[in-house]
Amino acid sequence: MSAYTLGVTDVADTFAEAFPMRFARLVITAVSEAWAHEAARSATGFATSVIGCKCEAAIERALSPDETPDGRPGIAVLLFAMDREGVGKRIVERVGQCVMTCPTTACFDGLPGAERTVALGATLRHFGDRFQASKVIAGRRFWRIPVMEGEFLVSDSAGVGQGVGGGNLVIGAGSDESALAAARAAAQAMRGEGIALPFPGGIVRSGSKVGALTSKSMPASTNHQMAPTLRAQVTDSLVPEGVGAMFEIVIDGVSEEAVREAMRRGLHTAAAAGATHVTAANFGGKLGEFHFPLDGLRDPP
Amino acid sequence: MTLTLTLNSKPPGRVLAAALSPERLCGLNASAVAGVELRCGGETVALGDLFDVSGAGVEEDAMVLAGDLSRFDGIGAGMSRGVIEVRGDVGAWSGAEMSGGVLRIFGNAGARLGAAYPGARVGMTGGEIVVSGDAGEEAGAGMRRGLVAVGGRTGNGAGLRMLAGTVIALSGIGEEAGLGNRRGSLVSGRAARPLPSYAFATRFRPPGLRLQLLRVRELGLSVRDGLLDGSWARWSGDVTELGRGEMLIFNEEEGPL
Repeated sequence: MSAYTLGVTDVADTFAEAFPMRFARLVITAVSEAWAHEAARSATGFATSVIGCKCEAAIERALSPDETPDGRPGIAVLLFAMDREGVGKRIVERVGQCVMTCPTTACFDGLPGAERTVALGATLRHFGDRFQASKVIAGRRFWRIPVMEGEFLVSDSAGVGQGVGGGNLVIGAGSDESALAAARAAAQAMRGEGIALPFPGGIVRSGSKVGALTSKSMPASTNHQMAPTLRAQVTDSLVPEGVGAMFEIVIDGVSEEAVREAMRRGLHTAAAAGATHVTAANFGGKLGEFHFPLDGLRDPP
Repeated sequence: MTLTLTLNSKPPGRVLAAALSPERLCGLNASAVAGVELRCGGETVALGDLFDVSGAGVEEDAMVLAGDLSRFDGIGAGMSRGVIEVRGDVGAWSGAEMSGGVLRIFGNAGARLGAAYPGARVGMTGGEIVVSGDAGEEAGAGMRRGLVAVGGRTGNGAGLRMLAGTVIALSGIGEEAGLGNRRGSLVSGRAARPLPSYAFATRFRPPGLRLQLLRVRELGLSVRDGLLDGSWARWSGDVTELGRGEMLIFNEEEGPL
């Protein structure tokens, strides 16, 4: 059911349903933006969905040297998990394996002053085999871990914030090419401060439903209602007439407002880029604390 | 307005000035500030007899001292919070055994800057001291944590028996620095000769030092870009102690890494 139209785009009368999550922001710096990017891409790899990856992470944005603690080019990364302990475990694994290992990098807490924190360098320092050293600089503790290149510098702890995970838009068009072009444009418009789009290129083509029709043990299975090839095979298809492909953009954000505004940017950009239908995924409204009705996104950003 | 004490007459002798700290004076009214007694040689003088007081009564955790305070010893000694900015030279023991806060001296500092008192094993345990000019002998002696950064040179024996923490001398560290150093960092922005109990390790770009130098710049000292981006020689010592300390020495004549 269409709530309203934006040009050629039908916007469904529905809402996205999202959940409270905890997140950390890491600032990865390096001798060049390219190296910081290598570390950030590695650290945010295999982090698309908490169901399968235990966390969701993505590059937030590039930082110029005057925005980073050590005055070098940097990349801000957001990592989301269901609780603070989860955030703590995942950042130690990922910084240890993907940032410490990457040439020339240093890793800083991107939420200084946060009320709740988790150990970062305080755990990773043990890699230093007691050759590590700490420095308190401007009231914050850092660890210097000797490595083959020289030293890896890492913040002692990382702040943990309360964010929102699972905001989404589903973008459809007549062909897979036009749907993907619209989704890609939307994802680009949605990225920015406070936003992580954890799927490849920000886009997921295999959106899921909770559970499965044929198994009790599967936590998730294909969203058959939005699979165009099943349109004539199932009785509850949600694929609109004339839609040949649908893509979902999942949004994790540092606040409800950040997610809502990203969805607004995405919706209007997708409409301008040729999407014929935009809808959103939810679980009937009973599971998620946050609801984002598409009707509330009618005004352009 | 910040509490400001401007020296108006030269004291007849050396003055014990540890009372000149924000935690002692901020929030007091002008007459209470002027009435604070200071030891001067064998006598006691009222603060108001030596200084013009302005901005008293403000709850801000900061104060300014102006004038030639080279006869004032122990400015900021033992301070745990707040900011003292000195516009002029200071005497010995400035910031001795301080545990927190910031002491900024735009001038020269005397001996034992941020040091441990005689007989004490531990000196400074936190906080930051920056000096735009030179510092006297044994700056940072016994330091356990914190930062002493000097825009000029330090005198002989900087970082004597230091446990940890950082002493930076942007224009060069004096002779015999780091004797008995356990885990501390001594940083010389110009060529320096380490003690024989230090051993050369390598030349590298220390990422932690870069962060510290940026902090020093933020605190008001002029730090050349070359120091931030260049390579530093690392000497490990003092091997007669734990040997986990370091001396980082910048030498532009050695060329790029």
